[in-house]
Amino acid sequence: MPRRVSVESLDRFRGNLQSLVAEKAKSLTGLRYCDLRIEIREEKGAVAENGAEKASSEDYAFDFGVRVIAGGRINAAGYFGRVLGTTDLDRLEDVVWDGITQAHSRARASARQKSQMKGRYAHLGSSLTSTELAPVTVCQDTVLAAYTVDPRQVPLSETVKMAVDGCKTLQSQGSNIVYSASSTSTFLLRELFLSSDGADIDQSFAQTEGFAIAICAGANGNFEHYDFTGHQRGWEVMTDGYSNGPIIIPNFMDFCRKLGADAVEVAAAPPLKPPDKEVTVVTNPHFNTLLVHEVVGHPSELDRALKYETGYAGRSWFLKDMQDNQLGNQIASPLVTAYSDPTIEGYGSFKYDHEGTPARRAYILRDGVLEEFLNNRQTAAIMGVAPNGSARSTEAQLVPLIRMTNTIFGPGQQDPQDIISEVQDGYYIDGHRTPSIAESRENFRITAVKVYEIKNGQLGQLYRDGGITSDSRDYFMSIDAVGNDLRVNPIPNCGKGQPMQAKRMSNGGPTMRGVARLTGPG
Amino acid sequence: MLPLADLRRAVKNALSFASAQADVEEVEVFASTGANLTVRLNYTSHIPSNGVEEPKSTESYGLGIRASFRTPGGVRTGFGSEPTDLSLEGAARALGKARSGAVSDAEYVSLPKLDSALQATPTPTQMKNAAPANYDPAVVRIGGKGLVDAGWRMMDRALDSFQSSEDLMGLTGSAEKMTELGLILGGDVVMFQDRMAIASTHIPKVQSEQNTLIMSFATAMVESQQSKGSGWSVVSKLADFNGEAAAEAARNAIASIGGQRIPSGNYKVILGPQPVAEILEWVLMPGLSLDMFFAGASPFMGKLGQMVASEDFSLYDSGGDPSLPSYKSITDEGLPTGRTDLIRNGKLSGMLSDYYNYQRILNDPAGREKLGVAPADALQSIAPRNGFRPGNGGGRDFGAAPGAISSNLVIEGSQGRTQEELFRLVGDGVYIGRIWYTYPVNGITSGDFSGTIIGDSYLIKDGKLAAPLKPNTVRMNDNVLRLINNTLGIASQHRATVRWSSDQVTWAPEIAIESFGLEEISEYMDGV
Repeated sequence: MPRRVSVESLDRFRGNLQSLVAEKAKSLTGLRYCDLRIEIREEKGAVAENGAEKASSEDYAFDFGVRVIAGGRINAAGYFGRVLGTTDLDRLEDVVWDGITQAHSRARASARQKSQMKGRYAHLGSSLTSTELAPVTVCQDTVLAAYTVDPRQVPLSETVKMAVDGCKTLQSQGSNIVYSASSTSTFLLRELFLSSDGADIDQSFAQTEGFAIAICAGANGNFEHYDFTGHQRGWEVMTDGYSNGPIIIPNFMDFCRKLGADAVEVAAAPPLKPPDKEVTVVTNPHFNTLLVHEVVGHPSELDRALKYETGYAGRSWFLKDMQDNQLGNQIASPLVTAYSDPTIEGYGSFKYDHEGTPARRAYILRDGVLEEFLNNRQTAAIMGVAPNGSARSTEAQLVPLIRMTNTIFGPGQQDPQDIISEVQDGYYIDGHRTPSIAESRENFRITAVKVYEIKNGQLGQLYRDGGITSDSRDYFMSIDAVGNDLRVNPIPNCGKGQPMQAKRMSNGGPTMRGVARLTGPG
Repeated sequence: MLPLADLRRAVKNALSFASAQADVEEVEVFASTGANLTVRLNYTSHIPSNGVEEPKSTESYGLGIRASFRTPGGVRTGFGSEPTDLSLEGAARALGKARSGAVSDAEYVSLPKLDSALQATPTPTQMKNAAPANYDPAVVRIGGKGLVDAGWRMMDRALDSFQSSEDLMGLTGSAEKMTELGLILGGDVVMFQDRMAIASTHIPKVQSEQNTLIMSFATAMVESQQSKGSGWSVVSKLADFNGEAAAEAARNAIASIGGQRIPSGNYKVILGPQPVAEILEWVLMPGLSLDMFFAGASPFMGKLGQMVASEDFSLYDSGGDPSLPSYKSITDEGLPTGRTDLIRNGKLSGMLSDYYNYQRILNDPAGREKLGVAPADALQSIAPRNGFRPGNGGGRDFGAAPGAISSNLVIEGSQGRTQEELFRLVGDGVYIGRIWYTYPVNGITSGDFSGTIIGDSYLIKDGKLAAPLKPNTVRMNDNVLRLINNTLGIASQHRATVRWSSDQVTWAPEIAIESFGLEEISEYMDGV
């Protein structure tokens, strides 16, 4: 009987795999670079519906991915990924070597074709270039997970009870909640990153997450309300909540209670009838969590800016080309600063990204001026800048993409109550719901959970089915107040890539005030 | 990929093993092996690029087991899986996970049975003679070089279209300066290789299937001219893949140079196949799944059998049509696929369903209220023909529990309109050929959606295509329920469309709409 897969299983292979990548791989013809990511996740979780248990599971995930850059006069990259299991514990070096050779074969084949294509298209082929990676400090390090309650020690039955109790709590908020569901999960993830440059990085993460949804009957139709909670910590996040600076996470019962109460309140509200003009809007931290994600974070990803995502996730209005772009330009009010920082605490924290690049803060907007793109080693080489550690995948078998980390609007100086009380006529936009963003992120429509009228500095009538829309630059230039109430929230499911990868990260911001058009039903 | 025989043997052995366990009430064993081979494209004439960006693959195989267990506290049900091990040890581990995770689910009735009046148990002869799934061994054998070649073939087709364009030459005056136009090709080729086998306590005969599918999607731009074009293809045979999608995208990008803005307003429009598919998939289809009716989250609550769309509008899923590329003869629950009418001549006719939700609604005291008719009187409408287990990006994944997933969605009109007729019906309006990020912004129940028009679009004047519409200058704000009730006409021709990170295919026609809300956006970008 083969051994059981656990995060400790990687201890046995770390040395041999490093030798495979850093020594044996170099014997492959034309190999310029190779890296291997291999990970094991021990996870458990449960689902409840309408207050009753529906499913639970305790399992592992074990997989690896390889990148090889190879060629001759011109280089190209090839990749390979595979799911692993218990039986692979006794043959892991052979399985990984097979993956390396397949990635190498693809890289060489692509390099040959790239060279031929350059020859076939004398002018149009001139931009086809050899694949290069910007240099990074080669690191060897071990990073331990932070938790109080080890996810592996939590009885599966406790995750079930938490999901069921959360669901019941949610449902108890109103008899007009016609459906409720919740889920809980907690896991310990260990990742190895090994490269032919000599990188040898061992990082572990504890992650705990909850989800709840309520569907609530109302005079104007059923209202769906859902949200996520979670943090890079152990099970204590669910039982006790977590609070540290801008991260304020309620325990799961309180999270479900508020979600249910909000659903009941909003379902009873009238639909917003938006005025046909721009209005003053005060957006709260939860709404700004999605706003910074969609309209600042995504266009700052350099793969989008360099057109890699033209076919799918879209480009970025921040960059037309290497010469004509918004770097150094004032594209937001001087009150607006936004940065991506995996070194601070959040749902997207790490010490090294999935290329082994040490993490650091990258200022996207500083005082309203576009300062830096999020990049990986390949796009950094094209731009001639230093990598800032933004390459990550959701699973080792998948190719790392340029990703937000903990990407937030920086806090300002004002009391959020003052920001509201200064408004004679306006609207308070509370909680994010669903985004629809233009292709290069130059325009957005984002709906809110709640929209309140502001009259004479006071919150008034609550409306449902509202939101705001604006051209991105106009909106950010209109920001005239930024609060001191920064909050950082988990975003568990940012989709990007082909096949799509749903990535966890943090986003957030303080209360902010600007000018936009309201949206309503339709 | 492992041979089908290995999967069949593993399923047979695992079923025998699991059935012999004292606490096992019923069990289902699903084995699969699959690979997703993807090559991404990124060519930019004005920025250094690799052309073929990511030749890559992911692959997996293993066993998934659903079982119900007799316990002192009553029957408990669970699911467990084990990768890379088809042996009895692997089956024991998967069953152990199902047992440890099993819950007491009052709404659970049984594992799938061929028990409804709709589904005659296939005889061994019928099963032997079942139409072969779309499968091409050449796709399975393609290897790394073949994958890379597919990507470069796309690149070659696009560059050739750009280079040979007289329009582009006219803009620059020389081939050398053509690079300054900002020519872009993005997209991908995705190849699915899937094999599966299944057997259970209730359907003990091992059933199996193998599928291949090649999807390609290309987006080309002449970025300095703010023009964008698309091309795509869906085939299941390698010989049918020729990279034409990239050439089509390049041609469409060139054709849409010189785009104009339009003011905000309500317009008569023709939605092309891609917009029809996108609005359908992201906004309408979630509300046509039986689990959404159970949850009260469909915009069609209580309307089964009632008119919900124009009489001209029909929508169905055709998983069992062997002539369609995403054809599957059996679901991943071992049940026969078939045609599920969702909306037929404007009337709500059915929902996508898996077996669990089918049984659940039959026993739901509020089932009549939720559907609008007693579920027992609507078996045809809720039959579980769609229980599939997609993995990462599609396929048939042993590690996933079944959910209601479409295979080949088809939209049809009853009047057999030609494209010319649609243009005449519109007169003056907008042809919308490619949209993006179209989401149900106020929840699934409302039908409200918003998105932007990003390419392949034109003004229509006097029933004919006129000037191109400038990409990224128009936001759509409308409601899908209003849209399907305001059709002017539906073309008789369909086109297979590609969905992001999925192997589901939507066969979409052009549809003319009476009134469609369009908003001019992003004027500042003209000066950026």
